[in-house]
Amino acid sequence: MTEPNLPGSPEVPEAPAGPYVYDYSASPQRQIVMPKTVPLPSLKTYLAEQEAAAVADEAKWQKMLADFEIAKVKAEAEGKDAPKPPVRPVPRKDDNDMKTPWPQEANDADLHRLQERLGDKVEEIFEQAGELTCQVSKDAILEALQLCRDDAALNYEMLADETATHYPVATNFTFSVVYHLTSISRRKRLRLRILIPEGFSPESACAVYPGANWMEREVYDMLGIRFVNHPDMTRILCPEDWEGYPLRKDYPVVGWGQRDIAFREDRGGMIERIALQKAGQLGINHKQPKAE
Amino acid sequence: MGMNQLSTLEHILITTKVEKVMNWSRATSVWPVTFGLACCAIEMMAAGASRFDFDRFGAGIFRATPRQADLMIIAGTVTYKMAPVIKTLYDQMPEPKWVIAMGSCATAGGPFDSYHTIQGVDKIIPVDVFIPGCPPRPESLIYGFMKLQDKIMTSSLADRYKDIFEEVG
Repeated sequence: MTEPNLPGSPEVPEAPAGPYVYDYSASPQRQIVMPKTVPLPSLKTYLAEQEAAAVADEAKWQKMLADFEIAKVKAEAEGKDAPKPPVRPVPRKDDNDMKTPWPQEANDADLHRLQERLGDKVEEIFEQAGELTCQVSKDAILEALQLCRDDAALNYEMLADETATHYPVATNFTFSVVYHLTSISRRKRLRLRILIPEGFSPESACAVYPGANWMEREVYDMLGIRFVNHPDMTRILCPEDWEGYPLRKDYPVVGWGQRDIAFREDRGGMIERIALQKAGQLGINHKQPKAE
Repeated sequence: MGMNQLSTLEHILITTKVEKVMNWSRATSVWPVTFGLACCAIEMMAAGASRFDFDRFGAGIFRATPRQADLMIIAGTVTYKMAPVIKTLYDQMPEPKWVIAMGSCATAGGPFDSYHTIQGVDKIIPVDVFIPGCPPRPESLIYGFMKLQDKIMTSSLADRYKDIFEEVG
């Protein structure tokens, strides 16, 4: 019995060392199954897919024609009636209504302005469902953010959201980090995007948008992307001694977290506080020992 | 003459056990900690408000510190990050103390069969009463609390300090 969406034998990753060890062999249903991910929306990918589909369609039509020729010759040789010539299948017109919005050519002036100012650093611009997306080079993200905020024609004052997505099956990148910008004065929204490989540390947006501080901490906490020049690159949601990054696709939803509860010995830091107090470094009423 | 004296005393004296009086006083003045974790806490507040009036059972005084409380109502999802806090609060409560696990999250993790949730608060602290529901209605909480009162009334001083007595011999 095989399930259609799941790979046959999922790879079991190495359990983290330390006190939190989960026995994967104990319960097979809790093994990690890589979920199917939505492909990264991209105009280039979409056009390539369309071209490949057109080529496949043409090849199918040519094969139908060839089959018809063979059948015709065979029917003549046997003295039967000639077979009906094939009819090329036409896609139904209402198919497009059911499709999700697909990436389209950029028409908005903001995207063209970004491309004009940043030049080669812009990798791709497109619109999808009325949303503007600009993919820039991973080293030029701070420059692009600075331009979006300070340029009079763009004037995006607010960083509404910053988050990232894990694409485990992609070959040339691992994470996409997206910056959702909002222009309150112009009532527009823009999405900046960078694609980064595993281990790459992008520049922190805190220098341009201070509100990115906690968002980048969350991205680090959930996906393990460390940002350069961030004021406080620590975990924000998980406990400090957490192991692993839960929002990665290869993180088990059940498994590592369903571990035996084991507290640190110094729960709440009281042992440390007592030690500090004994050393005379804590407490406003603590008298310092006098030098003899 | 003796018979007459006894019948007179019956009207002015009650004979009982010290244990029973202590249990009665404890069961009718259980003070919970002001402590809520998730949506179950809303139902707990509703139980404390005028419509259901938790105070009828002597449990309406939600103390703002665990050091003055007898009961801890775990009302909500217990995450791994919150677990040390709950454990610390429980340790700060003076004996005798009781715990009610309210709702399916505190009882068994609820729908969060996931990496961040403790599958039942009984993994970190002892629980006296489990209340099912998602969330339980205030009536359920009150029923669970009355079950706890029954438990307190049947408890014995000897049971509570059994270990100590056995050590002493």
